[in-house]
Amino acid sequence: MTSGADTGAIHDIGYRKYDGPRLGSAYVFRALTLNSLRGTFGLGRSARSKVMPMLLLAILTVPALLIAGIAVIGGAEKLPVDYTAYAINLQVLVSVFVAAQAPQLVSRDLRHRVVGLYFSRPMSHGDYVRAKLLAMTGAILVLTGLPLLVLYVGALLGKMSIGSNTQGFLRGLAGAVVLSAVLAAISVTMSAFTTRRGLGVAAIVTVLLVLSGVSGTVSAIAEQQGNSSLAGWAGLLSPYSLVYVVEAKVLGADANGASMPPGAIGGVVFCLAAVAIVAGAYALLMLRYRRVSV
Amino acid sequence: MSTVVLRDLTKTYGGKVTALSGLSAELPAGVTGLVGANGAGKSTLIRILLGLTPATSGGASVLGLDVATQGPEIRGRVGYMPEHDCLPPDMTATELVVHLGRMSGLPMTAARERTADILRLVSLHEERYRPIGGYSTGMRQRVKLAQALVHDPALVLLDEPTNGLDPAGRDDMLDLIARIGALFGISVVVTSHLMGELERVCQHIVVIDGGRLLRSASTVDVTAVTGRLLVEVGDRATEVAAHLVAVGVGARAISAQSLDVELVDDATYDHIRDAVVDLGVPMVRLQRARHHMVDLFRDEQEPA
Amino acid sequence: MAVMELASVSRWFGNVVAVNDVSMSIGPGVTGLLGPNGAGKSTLIAMMSGFLPPSAGTVTLDGAPVWRREQVYRQIGIVPEREAMYDVVTGWTFVLTNASLHGLADPGAAATRAIDTVEMSDAAQREVSTYSKGMKQRIKMAAALVHDPAVLLLDEPFNGMDPRQRLHLMDLLVTMGREGRTVLFSSHILEEVEQVAGTIQVMVAGRHAASGDFREIRRLMTERPHMYTVTSSDDRALAAAALADGAVSAVELVDGQVRLQAGDSIRFGTSLPRLARAAGIRLYDVSPADESLESVFAYLVGR
Repeated sequence: MTSGADTGAIHDIGYRKYDGPRLGSAYVFRALTLNSLRGTFGLGRSARSKVMPMLLLAILTVPALLIAGIAVIGGAEKLPVDYTAYAINLQVLVSVFVAAQAPQLVSRDLRHRVVGLYFSRPMSHGDYVRAKLLAMTGAILVLTGLPLLVLYVGALLGKMSIGSNTQGFLRGLAGAVVLSAVLAAISVTMSAFTTRRGLGVAAIVTVLLVLSGVSGTVSAIAEQQGNSSLAGWAGLLSPYSLVYVVEAKVLGADANGASMPPGAIGGVVFCLAAVAIVAGAYALLMLRYRRVSV
Repeated sequence: MSTVVLRDLTKTYGGKVTALSGLSAELPAGVTGLVGANGAGKSTLIRILLGLTPATSGGASVLGLDVATQGPEIRGRVGYMPEHDCLPPDMTATELVVHLGRMSGLPMTAARERTADILRLVSLHEERYRPIGGYSTGMRQRVKLAQALVHDPALVLLDEPTNGLDPAGRDDMLDLIARIGALFGISVVVTSHLMGELERVCQHIVVIDGGRLLRSASTVDVTAVTGRLLVEVGDRATEVAAHLVAVGVGARAISAQSLDVELVDDATYDHIRDAVVDLGVPMVRLQRARHHMVDLFRDEQEPA
Repeated sequence: MAVMELASVSRWFGNVVAVNDVSMSIGPGVTGLLGPNGAGKSTLIAMMSGFLPPSAGTVTLDGAPVWRREQVYRQIGIVPEREAMYDVVTGWTFVLTNASLHGLADPGAAATRAIDTVEMSDAAQREVSTYSKGMKQRIKMAAALVHDPAVLLLDEPFNGMDPRQRLHLMDLLVTMGREGRTVLFSSHILEEVEQVAGTIQVMVAGRHAASGDFREIRRLMTERPHMYTVTSSDDRALAAAALADGAVSAVELVDGQVRLQAGDSIRFGTSLPRLARAAGIRLYDVSPADESLESVFAYLVGR
């Protein structure tokens, strides 16, 4: 038995100071955005919160799979649906997702007053708002973009025209970006002002459905009365039709007989409207969060 | 080395409501108690110190940083434990503290490791993996404390940390605060309405009344001994007092069981001892009378 | 002379027994109702205020039951815990309305008196929504006092008050007690209770755990030895003498003091000075280490 000198030791497991890196606001912004984005699909949360968003993602993507599948098997020359029209046609499902997840993203933190814990850290109000808006935009983009990707891949596999499909896909994606931004703006802002549980969901879904309904009705009546341009302007009333017009007028997509506002002015106004919605939402959100006390 | 310096700090709202008026004080390192500021005054002060609200006039610095121009830096080096409920019910303590650690700039690995350590140090064990919604008040307070400590701040602001806790929980929290100040090497500013608590853990005390500074002093000064002794006996205090007076010691009975004695020199102690033995009365307390923090408020009420 | 009597009172809500066979008598003076959160204090006060009937037992005021007897409110004033108040009226209006509802002959004068008593005269003309928590409490007190009740029941009245307001309320309660009113207030903050209440009633998990003066209660806790911290001119010798004498059962030398454990505090109190004198030792400080309400309470809660 050798007499080892230091064979026993008690280690200090008390509090440790931190001398490691403290990452700046860019990292924090990224972290919050990604965390929030993941949260809208229930990732990093309980199993229960994954059900609804994943289900919606599946329901939105399956038709694209089917369409692409059938087209390929049937040897079609082109896809039966426009990339730019996909999300608009399934707008009810998109609305449900938006209505369900925007409050998750934003109202929760306000209702339980968690926001104070963010603002007592180096995070600025602006960064918080931007992160939440960006996260929601990203989430809707995934929801509306994934089906487009599926269609595109299907088209390529089906040896359809690469040129026109790529163009269509990119157009569709651009449209999806605009749609995501506009829907995110509306839903996040509404969520920030309706913190009572369930109220945000109901309010958003109601607003989106009602706006769609009103826009469609006004447009139809106007067309009936032969007033095509009014029918076109009615598109301003709903985010979906607004984006559809932008896609047609600005991105060169096929209008497919839908009512359009007249001339170049129409396109410009609709574009500005989209920008105004996003900017207005941002301003309102900044106002809302400035009122929060830690 | 002062952790917080207030220079003639004033904050008025809309020119009518004065939350803070000309506050000037220097808080040393260690544990400092902040008393008396209620509602508006206290939240206002906290917001100003975190650089979230500008002062109307005057200024302040936290850890040498100016609140008016270096708010974000201050918030990176300071931890804050709010008084109000601020925890999401569907996250676990671990998830929340890791997330907030990252929001303070910690890389993911560091956030995870420090969270695990901090939760252990505030005595949150297996419950840390359960959603916060099911926690007791005591556990919630500890989660709030943990999120304030995870990023290794140089100073923590604890707003009414013992709120809603029963005596045992209160004790635990106070011990924890004392440990933070003494062992973790973090300075603490703690607000409370309960002076007894503050006397226990704070080295320095700042008393605010109606937005103005009433007193800023070390606890030792505020609870200084007076030149008098408090003696408690089984009964017959009046006889004991009379006995003491007879041998030239200034004494008077305050009740049937206690008397107040003037401490002249060490011999006084012996007189007291001898008096109770001679009279066959049990003595259960002999202490130097001290001032208490609460007296600061009483003095103001003297005129009545 | 108003005495509130509870006889074998129980109150359950389904399987939850909030109050379990409690008997107590609350007479004139200030009584503190203590207990941890969830001990049943609020339920007990609700029954004493006539807001809840007991599931078993009786709650009587001077012999007559409190439940379903509107007349009892002439004698009882209640200051509930909940903060919710009509925000848009002024303090004055609130108290005056209460006075009128009581059918007082001169509601205005009564209201003025009550508001003066709680020292809210300056703020009475402002809307209640502008009041701080402490001020709201005081206005509620004024409303409860406006009809000069013999019994005053307060549920957690010191909650959230700053030291000045607390001192003020404490003085107020002591005054009320001295005037011969029966005042009962609940709290889980012992610091407050210690200084105000002549008698305490302790509740733990719905059971009535102890009553009386807390020092007396401590004396009755005989299975727990008393701890004293003593500073003297010769701690070691004193410790040895005390141990030899048998007045103490354990000694501990710590940090320039000696800690002594004694089973009988009276015997200890008589022996210690005697032993000190015999050995020529000077006693500088003798402090009962655990006679605070805090430790009495911890013991009762842990039983």
